[in-house]
Amino acid sequence: MSEGLTRRRLVVLGAAGVASLAGPRGLAARSELEVGKPVSPDALPAREASWYKRLPERRVECQLCPRGCQVADAERGSCGVRENRGGTYYTLVYGLACTVHVDPIEKKPFFHVLPGKTALSYATAGCNVECKFCQNWEISQFRPEQVRSWWMPPKALVNLAQRLGTPLTAATYSEPVVFWEYVRDAAHAARSAGLRPTVVSNGYIQEKPLRDVLPLLTAYKVDLKSFRERFYKELVRGELKPVLKTLEVARAAGAWVEIVVLIVPTWNDSEAEARDLARWVKTNLGPDVPVHLTRFHPTYRLTDLPPTPVTKLERLWQVVRSEGLHFVYLGNVPGHPGENTVCPGCGATVIKRLGYRILDNRLKGDRCPDCNRKIPGVWS
Amino acid sequence: MSDRLTRRDLARLLGVGLLAGPLGAATRGGGDARAGTVGIAPLAADELGQVAASGALIAVSAAIAAATGAASGEAAAARLFSAGDTVGIKLSCLAGRPLSPRREVVEALVRLITAAGVPAGRIIVFERSSRELQRAGLPLRRSGGPYLCYGIDNDYDPLPSDSGAIGSCFARLVSTHCTALVSVGVVKDHDLAGVSAGLKNWYGVIHNPNKYHDNNCDPYVADVVNHPFIRGKLKLTLLDGVTAQYHGGPAFRARYAFPLHRVVASMDPVAVDAWAWRVLDSERRQHGLPSLAEAKRPPRFIATAAKYGLGVGDPSRIREVMA
Ligand code: SF4
Repeated sequence: MSEGLTRRRLVVLGAAGVASLAGPRGLAARSELEVGKPVSPDALPAREASWYKRLPERRVECQLCPRGCQVADAERGSCGVRENRGGTYYTLVYGLACTVHVDPIEKKPFFHVLPGKTALSYATAGCNVECKFCQNWEISQFRPEQVRSWWMPPKALVNLAQRLGTPLTAATYSEPVVFWEYVRDAAHAARSAGLRPTVVSNGYIQEKPLRDVLPLLTAYKVDLKSFRERFYKELVRGELKPVLKTLEVARAAGAWVEIVVLIVPTWNDSEAEARDLARWVKTNLGPDVPVHLTRFHPTYRLTDLPPTPVTKLERLWQVVRSEGLHFVYLGNVPGHPGENTVCPGCGATVIKRLGYRILDNRLKGDRCPDCNRKIPGVWS
Repeated sequence: MSDRLTRRDLARLLGVGLLAGPLGAATRGGGDARAGTVGIAPLAADELGQVAASGALIAVSAAIAAATGAASGEAAAARLFSAGDTVGIKLSCLAGRPLSPRREVVEALVRLITAAGVPAGRIIVFERSSRELQRAGLPLRRSGGPYLCYGIDNDYDPLPSDSGAIGSCFARLVSTHCTALVSVGVVKDHDLAGVSAGLKNWYGVIHNPNKYHDNNCDPYVADVVNHPFIRGKLKLTLLDGVTAQYHGGPAFRARYAFPLHRVVASMDPVAVDAWAWRVLDSERRQHGLPSLAEAKRPPRFIATAAKYGLGVGDPSRIREVMA
């Protein structure tokens, strides 16, 4: 949640910039589409979806996220980016980037993945849930024809990352689950080019598509919105259980996983909930999975609450650490010691941060320079 | 059509056993003589499914006159609209030309509104996208001609506005420009909502309708229409029922389409949907299909809309006036 984009802050590489960077190695454009050029709302490129089944009467069942939308002909699923055309299901956002931006990897936030490096971050319109506190609602809660988008097929995206010198890519900002075919092919292209693909997601995905893409990813960040179903029902229009399942599957598959929890005043800021969450993470994922507790700021449909008091965040930070998790961070509180990586063995600060900047990185390879304890992560 | 379903059937479908008391008390129809009144006029198509403009004008005039109790279509329009209005006419065109409001029916309505003194430049026929209007055979134009005709495309309010369970950016046409609104729909089955006629047509003015299809679109359809942007301006619902569809919606499916040969009008947006439900269930029964309730997609939003006081959902109070 810390990487919100407002319309003003949203930096999209314009047509000329992307086109020139895509260069001769850019994907051969489809006849009506040119790499890096805006796509007309009336000519969205449709590509058959990879995870769905056909039902009688030209209906389909989407098998991408746990919502499992059953969609009649001419209709779209809840995410608004998948459409049934005569009994065949299509994604309307494959290669259709509405934002492409170079970010520090700390902004995602990944704190245990190539510190100080940058990620070519991209998104399409659409989301499979509707968080009332969404910071990126101007792209996540709209349909693709309502958002200005550019044709950036996977290879063009990777080509751009190479030219900009970003060693990582990140599917992020809106909800990568709804553009999962694009994520898969972009991750594949990134791997082939020696880049590291990452995903920042709500984790609300079915197991099959998750398993299909996990092996391609360097790191997977999940927004665990809360540890209570009530929160998911009332503020997210989603469910907690499938997200926990996703975390277990991802961790068991060996992907590097980090978790972010946005602390929303009065909704998920109780010590009891923080303790339950910490215990679940420790038991099911292990104590080495980083957990970022981040500060809420009022936005979208949740504007009647104040920002999370820093004292409250600090208290929850203590509670979660006291349950035995090794790497608990505070987010959206620049300059707080909770931004630093501390060795769980000797207590030495091994990475010092200020916001998204690395002030000091004392890691020796993957080890604490003081006690030689291994610090888990993707460091090189 | 009216005798195909008994009152008891309809009461069961609408759940009035539970709702009749509170509904009766809550509807705005309590003191409104036209609440619950549905005006119906015949309008047949030729073998190509086309209607003559003159026939459409007679039918639309008659249906609106019957719905309002006025002596003529012009007199009815004069009651509903004033010269200072900017009138937005929202069409339901998702199903393309075979199952969208016909241009002849729309233009008949425009003629009546024009006769009420509303200038051509302030009569706006619109849909979610210009493309849908084009596909339905409507002429796009942003100036000139007897009315304007264009899609909302991307022109929404910059911030969402809440109404009950929905939170949406509304089309600025609806929130800001228009002072009077008309829903022009068709009579068709909907895979999730059960019925898509006049009320559900308003999903087309919010930016995020896909989010609101759970639970047979209830209470969401009613919440959209209950928003002051619509509730405060909605003057009329008109259904092009020349061709209707009892199953397989919302897309057009020729095998489930049937000639209803009606134009239906009402000042009561709830009653006209309850009427459409009755028609569709009746047709479904004739084809050996389960009722919409049995198919687990009863249009629950009708009862919710009635509960909000948007109109009459009590079938015992729906009055068909045949022109
Ligand atoms: S990905 Fe979209 S269409 Fe598919 S189940 Fe989820 S919300 Fe529905």
